[in-house]
Amino acid sequence: MTNTNEFINHLASKLGRPTPTETPPPVEISVPQYRLSNTEERASIFLQNWQALGGKGAIVKSENDMLQCLKEWFGDLPITWFKDNPQALIAWDMLPSIAESAFSTLNWPLTRYTQSSLDPRDRYSIAAHAELGITGSDLGIALSGTIVMNSDPLRGRVVSLLPPRHLAFIETTKIRNNLFEVLEEISALGTPPAAIEMISGPSRTSDIEMDLSIGVHGPIEVYVVVIDN
Amino acid sequence: MTMFNLTTDQRVDKALANNFLRQATRRATDRLRNNKYKASDELGNWEEWRNAGETIRKHVIANLDFYLHQLIEQMEQRGVHVHLAKTPADAVGIVRNIVREHDAKNVLKSKSMISEEIHLNHALEEDGAAVVETDLGEYIIQIAGEPPSHIIVPAMHKTRQQVADLFEPIAGHALSSDTPTLTRFARIQMREQFLRGDIGITGCNFAVANTGSIVMVTNEGNGRMVSTLPRVQITLMGMERIVPSFRELDIMLNLLARSATGQRLSSYTTILTPPKKSADSDGPEEYHLVILDHNRSEILGDKLFRTALNCIRCGACFNVCPVYRQLGGHAYGSVYSGPIGSVITPLLEKDWKKWGHLPYFSSLCGACTEGCPVRIPLHDLLVKLRMRKTQSGHTPQVEQQIFKAYRYLFTREKTLRRALRLGAHLQRPFVRNHRITGGPPPLSNWTKSRTLPMVAPKPFMQIWADLNNKR
Amino acid sequence: MKVSLFATCLTNAFYPEVDLTMAKILKHLGHTVDVPEGQVCCGQIAFNSGYVDDAREVARTLINSFERSEVVVGPSGSCIAMIHHYYPTLFENEPVYLKKAEDLIHKSYEFTQFVVDVLKKPDLGAHYKAKATYHPSCHATRLLGIGEAPLKLLQHVNGLELLPLPEAQLCCGFGGTFSVKMPKISEAMVAEKAEHVLASGADILLGLDMGCLMNISGYLEKINKPVKTMHIIQLLGEGMKS
Ligand code: SF4
Repeated sequence: MTNTNEFINHLASKLGRPTPTETPPPVEISVPQYRLSNTEERASIFLQNWQALGGKGAIVKSENDMLQCLKEWFGDLPITWFKDNPQALIAWDMLPSIAESAFSTLNWPLTRYTQSSLDPRDRYSIAAHAELGITGSDLGIALSGTIVMNSDPLRGRVVSLLPPRHLAFIETTKIRNNLFEVLEEISALGTPPAAIEMISGPSRTSDIEMDLSIGVHGPIEVYVVVIDN
Repeated sequence: MTMFNLTTDQRVDKALANNFLRQATRRATDRLRNNKYKASDELGNWEEWRNAGETIRKHVIANLDFYLHQLIEQMEQRGVHVHLAKTPADAVGIVRNIVREHDAKNVLKSKSMISEEIHLNHALEEDGAAVVETDLGEYIIQIAGEPPSHIIVPAMHKTRQQVADLFEPIAGHALSSDTPTLTRFARIQMREQFLRGDIGITGCNFAVANTGSIVMVTNEGNGRMVSTLPRVQITLMGMERIVPSFRELDIMLNLLARSATGQRLSSYTTILTPPKKSADSDGPEEYHLVILDHNRSEILGDKLFRTALNCIRCGACFNVCPVYRQLGGHAYGSVYSGPIGSVITPLLEKDWKKWGHLPYFSSLCGACTEGCPVRIPLHDLLVKLRMRKTQSGHTPQVEQQIFKAYRYLFTREKTLRRALRLGAHLQRPFVRNHRITGGPPPLSNWTKSRTLPMVAPKPFMQIWADLNNKR
Repeated sequence: MKVSLFATCLTNAFYPEVDLTMAKILKHLGHTVDVPEGQVCCGQIAFNSGYVDDAREVARTLINSFERSEVVVGPSGSCIAMIHHYYPTLFENEPVYLKKAEDLIHKSYEFTQFVVDVLKKPDLGAHYKAKATYHPSCHATRLLGIGEAPLKLLQHVNGLELLPLPEAQLCCGFGGTFSVKMPKISEAMVAEKAEHVLASGADILLGLDMGCLMNISGYLEKINKPVKTMHIIQLLGEGMKS
């Protein structure tokens, strides 16, 4: 194993000067960025882009909208799922309240991922066998149709990863214009969380004869409900 | 790895004789290139993005010691084990030790070119660990026992039938060769592996110095699996793969996703700031970062080639290269192929005997330079490599003589006139229908597939002189 | 204007009519034309092969021969690109010649660029009835940034129908010594270029670099395809006769 100082000094010698002791002045970046004028526009462009990637999405304004939307997407499927697997719906500990109450009204019981088992391996297995993973989102990106989720003790990173379907909720006010704004906001918080996941559509691959196929490892179907309240 | 045992000429012959490979390469690169144009054009100011990308990369490389130090400090403060590897052998040794210490049986890998560069899999398998490549393309070539043929689409050279044939023995039954079936098979097969993995090994697209973060992009989601499920994670990174902060990351991620596949962002962009917080419900508990030099420091110290370190491994240069288009990646013989592979392989491996052919795998058309999102002057670097090879005496004697003669004649116009007159005589036996159709080597290399015009009875300089004397 | 011709080594030896026609056109436009003695070659063939010292001496010869010229014009994007892009590096350690090289850079032009952008004469009154396609040579396009000039000249040729060339951006596989050093790869490349030329439906392939045209025509000849190749200068020259 090489000693850090030795390694760094070697680079400094290759650069022909001692290692700077202060952070070098940052480079100037002046690339004009993509911007939309208001929240509403951001929400609708976000949705368009998300759908273009192959995700399903809708904007809801009320609990009633929410119910309609979930029923339309999933119909009686959850009921069928529960017959084989009472833990078919796996979710973060907390979802937006309008979503929580929709699930109660529909009588679709949610399994809270973090409380599903004490052993992480068991939790992974529960998530892997679930039919639908349900999460919130911290931020969204209109330009690329992206949802952004920070890791957190009450959440679980695999909820958006292991089940074959992923349903996410996002408030319109959380949707930003571009990646730059998102990264700026996250870095303002200080040390980043252990994982920031940015998800743009379903899992995909073109590895076989450049033929696009959906859902190789991550979720095959992805759904976003944009909450406008 | 039969590819590695062939001579350059044999590899080229093999590639050129493989029609599927050539069709597939054409189709794939056309597609990737057109997607890239769409994604770069829509920004409306791509050149400004490229400028920004170039500026950031140059800044990082010029301060690499500082940023690397910052990254290491950040990581170590939080309890990440940072390992510095001078050579590929060091890096392999480090990973091997970690795997042994944990007595790991199942090692999961997401795509990492560094692991290819250091030939890691083989070593781990020798130790008795099962290594699974989880990127679909990497998985295919792992079963086939071949190196990647493209840095973004590693199994580009395989037909779906070939993939089905490779999967069948594992499936234990016949598989139809349509893509959805094959993809589903890989999904199911890999699912079990993911849940059983003891150690996850990932690559790293960018490392953020001031936060100590690792950024990884994938489309399949395997990168997320490998970096979330196993208890221990190892990330391999080339030491140049740094951005100062999140501020610069925006530019680099845009350039990467748009140039590599024409996406605005890859399906999954994951920023890891390891290790996990103690209360987090998932994520690896133990995190190792292996930083590889492998002569990158030599490139850093070499002003002629320093820009080669600016590469973000997007593959855009592959997709515009007319040589790569005809050959695919295996003919190069190296882990990194395409224009950037031809530039960095001789610099990393420092072996003209083995890699001296690479700088000549280019007609110097400049398409790579034009396509590079961080403006690396790739074709100029290829010429400079040829210069290095020449100056260190590694080019053939005959070639050296030819250029000596060239220098003599092409600095003496009058003498050249006489030589051309002589040429006009000497060409006669080879002329059919006013065209030269044969000749001694190296001329014969041309005439095998092309004819040549006749040397004019009088060169222009003579004609002009005659005209003006008459007047 | 007094224009000095740079008769490139290739046209000098194989295609003197290109240089001659270039002289005629420039005279026709009312300029005095001279051909400075001693000039041979830009040195690119050695430079691109890594023989920098040999290239430098050839380049020095060229610089010397044009020292007293006002304007230098050559029938090749590639050779002019060599001067513009690489002479500064070649002479970076020789202040005297660096200065001379910079002089040459400032006063040298590729033919179409000179006629269209400097002389502003895109219409030479030429007449040529044919279906043609145009191959944008790599160095002219990518290194010199020549885009519109040749097309403007061609658009003004009466009777000429200009057809698009599929995948025009692809290199033809010439690449100077590349064509003999990597003959098989080069052949595969020119074979594809020929495929696209034939697909264009043109009877004539036009270009502004004889290297590329020599390569493509040599291949088309070998496979017995009757597409004619011409330098733009040749087409203009023919077209201006009538
Ligand atoms: S050299 Fe440029 S184009 Fe090629 S892979 Fe690297 S960054 Fe991409």
